[in-house]
Amino acid sequence: MEGREHNLPVSSTKVYDEMPVRALSKLTGFHAGYFRISLSLCSQALLWKTLSEPETDAHALRAVVRLLPSAAYVLLWSVALAALVALCLLYALRCAFKLRHVRAEFSHHVGVNYLFAPWISWLLLLQSTPARFVRPGGGAQHALWWVFVAPILLLDVKIYGQCFTKGKKILSMVANPTSQITVIGNLVGARAAAMMGWEEMATCMFSLGMAHYLVLFVTLYQRFVGSSSIPAMLRPVFFLFIAAPSTASLAWDAITGSFGTGSKMLFFLSLFLFASLVSRPALFKRSMKRFNVVWWAYSFPLTVLAMAATEYAQAVKGGVSNALMLILSVLSVIVTIALIVFTAIKPSDLLPHGDDPFAPLPRVDVFLHVSPTAFIPFLSKCFTFFTCSSMSAMVMDICSLQYSFDLPTSFSFDSHPEKGERDRKEGLINPVRFN
Amino acid sequence: MEQVSAKQIPCEELPSLLQSAAAKEVAGFDSVECGNGGVISQTTQPAAAPKETEAVCSHLPAYNEPQDESKHSYSLSISLPTSPSGFHVLQAKQIGSPRTESTQLPPPAAVQLEQPKQGKFHSQPIPAVSIDGKVATMNGKVPDRRVSGGGESQQRDKRFDSFKTWSGRLERQLSNLRGKPQDLESGESSIIEAEDVPAVDRYFDALEGPELDTLRVSEVSVLPEDKKWPFLLRFPISSFGMCLGVSSQAILWKTLATSPSTSFLHVSITVNLVLWCVSLALMSTVAFVYLLKIIFYFEAVKREYYHPVRVNFFFAPWIACLFLVQGVPPTVAEKPHNALWYALMAPIFCLELKIYGQWMSGGQRRLSKVANPSNHLSIVGNFVGALVGASMGLKEGPIFFFAIGLAHYTVLFVTLYQRLPTNETLPKELHPVFFLFVAAPSVACMAWAAIKGDFDYGSRIAYFIALFLYVSLAVRINFFRGFRFSLAWWAYTFPMTGFSIATIKYSMEVTNALTQTLSVGFSVISTFTVSALFITTIIHAFVLHDLFPNDIPIAITQKRPKFSKFIAHLRSLSSDMEAAISKDSLEI
Repeated sequence: MEGREHNLPVSSTKVYDEMPVRALSKLTGFHAGYFRISLSLCSQALLWKTLSEPETDAHALRAVVRLLPSAAYVLLWSVALAALVALCLLYALRCAFKLRHVRAEFSHHVGVNYLFAPWISWLLLLQSTPARFVRPGGGAQHALWWVFVAPILLLDVKIYGQCFTKGKKILSMVANPTSQITVIGNLVGARAAAMMGWEEMATCMFSLGMAHYLVLFVTLYQRFVGSSSIPAMLRPVFFLFIAAPSTASLAWDAITGSFGTGSKMLFFLSLFLFASLVSRPALFKRSMKRFNVVWWAYSFPLTVLAMAATEYAQAVKGGVSNALMLILSVLSVIVTIALIVFTAIKPSDLLPHGDDPFAPLPRVDVFLHVSPTAFIPFLSKCFTFFTCSSMSAMVMDICSLQYSFDLPTSFSFDSHPEKGERDRKEGLINPVRFN
Repeated sequence: MEQVSAKQIPCEELPSLLQSAAAKEVAGFDSVECGNGGVISQTTQPAAAPKETEAVCSHLPAYNEPQDESKHSYSLSISLPTSPSGFHVLQAKQIGSPRTESTQLPPPAAVQLEQPKQGKFHSQPIPAVSIDGKVATMNGKVPDRRVSGGGESQQRDKRFDSFKTWSGRLERQLSNLRGKPQDLESGESSIIEAEDVPAVDRYFDALEGPELDTLRVSEVSVLPEDKKWPFLLRFPISSFGMCLGVSSQAILWKTLATSPSTSFLHVSITVNLVLWCVSLALMSTVAFVYLLKIIFYFEAVKREYYHPVRVNFFFAPWIACLFLVQGVPPTVAEKPHNALWYALMAPIFCLELKIYGQWMSGGQRRLSKVANPSNHLSIVGNFVGALVGASMGLKEGPIFFFAIGLAHYTVLFVTLYQRLPTNETLPKELHPVFFLFVAAPSVACMAWAAIKGDFDYGSRIAYFIALFLYVSLAVRINFFRGFRFSLAWWAYTFPMTGFSIATIKYSMEVTNALTQTLSVGFSVISTFTVSALFITTIIHAFVLHDLFPNDIPIAITQKRPKFSKFIAHLRSLSSDMEAAISKDSLEI
């Protein structure tokens, strides 16, 4: 693919040629995991909106939040929107120019789950939109909900369907903590629907999410011997164990209208898993050696836990629940701010270094029919992406059946290929080949 | 000491003599009941690095050491027959300096310092004993050291040092305080490091059986198998099962006496009072003894904690205390204090964080590998806590523990039902441990009823699941045969009792002849089972004297014994020989 870039019109100067080449080469490494950033920021915006709701009774935290001018909240929302739009544009560029890498990502057992992340971010942003931009309950909100939920549903059908029908991708082998993102997608869609008043749609998505959550929870806890384990660099995604029950708790709260026993039980489960993970710092030591985009995985689960704690404190008034809400909210804000600061200080650590974690092995290129997408106008690719990325993903998948991708699952989501190599050598990774 | 010093053989000659002597010993030795089960060095000594670990058995140790080390050990032991177990660097120095015959002093220290794991020496009995054993058997005598009466008992004592807290230092200091004579050299100069506990794979490799309590034929025990170990070492954590069984009976009789649907039986509340007092006394006793074990034999407690089945019994004391709180007679205390609940749930919470976290992210102890029915004990603690908390009037705490228990119960239930092929601990045949399946749904049913305030659909669903599991086990009662009695069986009676209590609560909600009959019937069954178990326990304790056999499962070796196949072959040979001899005697 690199060679193709050099076949651009000869009228451009050499220097001018190099810049897009270098920029485009970065797209190789820009995988969907970068949407963790947008997940964190959008959920922060939603948390602040929840905290500033008038139903919550007078409390120190609420007083602080009320003190902030609404402009600050709008600013936060705008920053989240800008980040999300930027990330979407970059990913659209990646679809345009590095389509086979996107295809490889789609076939990967970790990468495919992050294809839900943009839609979840858009839904969270939709829920946290200030009233002046999108009228709550209006047609625009409904339309946007459908636009964002349709890809989630299509991805559901594809991914969950192949769990129990397709021979090669067996759940017990493929399941890993990032698979919970699929469940979170359904639950966030359910909550958004319930907030808009669509009970049936909300219940439908909730039951879809919970049924698969049950299966996934058991499978992940069993940790079947022989299942592919994730590399040590990806350990922060264990925090997704916290995110799933919290999101379910919020969704059930929105569906039933009150924070009942079901929501409480889910919230408590999430709290227990949080305590369990926090009491095991050694688990995350390896991944904390160097800043990379995986660190953003800490923020979103803590934020949804704080949101669930807020709803809990609204339902069960008392010192303990308020303290819990306070501690968790402060923790999530601190973590997000810390991550933003880290990103600001060391942006180079965050940027992809050109190596694609899902890159097919070189020998496959011989058989790979290089798609002529580089010559198709960019706009048509944008159109494909924004209307129905999952449709094109399905098309891609059908095409990919012709090729034999020999994917190393031993990617490391970090900037150093040597590290991934070291991880591989240290036996942290079970190379499982998917064809 | 005199006889030993008289046998001062030049060190160079010793190895060959040892080899020939030991070669004779090995063949016929496993049937010899030596006086103190002294360890004998194995014949072949590959010139392997000292880093190679070896297993040590009571009769046939594989004691790989380079030649020079045996020399050193020989000289060490001759100098100090009553030295404590293991190699002590300082001791070596102390011993070596006043003695002129032991010239190899710095090398032993250096060699010992090279040992990567001191633990390997602690898994072996004292070289003093072994060398003396060697010396004695070279003379053809059974090693029986008559240095002094106290010395002999001290000798036996010190073989268990590796299992003691700080390897016996505490005990020595306590003995010093009490005024018992102690060797000067065996005092504070010991630098014993804690022995490493075997990895979980070792437990699976070395043990078999539904409770992982039987040593495989090819394995040997670190401690002497023929000798009766100190009582504290033989006292397992599963003894708390007794408290579970008796205290759940107290709750049953309280429910029988107080519930309106069984009032036709006219059960007196005195039964509950008596049972409760008995269970309180039993709990105090067992707790006290186990506390002594923790103080004096902490290493043994650690090994029990790392045992894949025994770890679940660490929940048993707290569950038994919760039962005591739940079954308290009205005359003693009407409403227990809330702080008691928090105090009892805190250790359960900490244990859970550890164990469930291991399931989720631990290295070797993944659930698909270690799941076994005893894991139900770790789940039931949640439901019992929820039940007791809700009965006390607490609101959020019971829901918290109920939620955690439910989530993890789902995982465990599915895993056990799957009987994954990678699961090594599932018993292939039926065993009383399967009754633990009934425990979780019964207690969950009662807990949900207490949280909600009435016996609604959720409780009924849980109750019917428990009923089905109970019936499916009861109709297979024929298959519960041929098992060696163990104290852990007491722990399996509380599910039956819990189910009876759930039936009584159900009959309170749905009162008709059928439910009342069921409640009476199940109560009778559980009471009968507990009585039978009680009688069996009494028989084993006072008639057969084997209520507390040697706790072999905690005495497995760190690594597989070198000559495991050889040992297995010998054992099978000896058992064949015994069978042949008995057959011959019958024929004659």
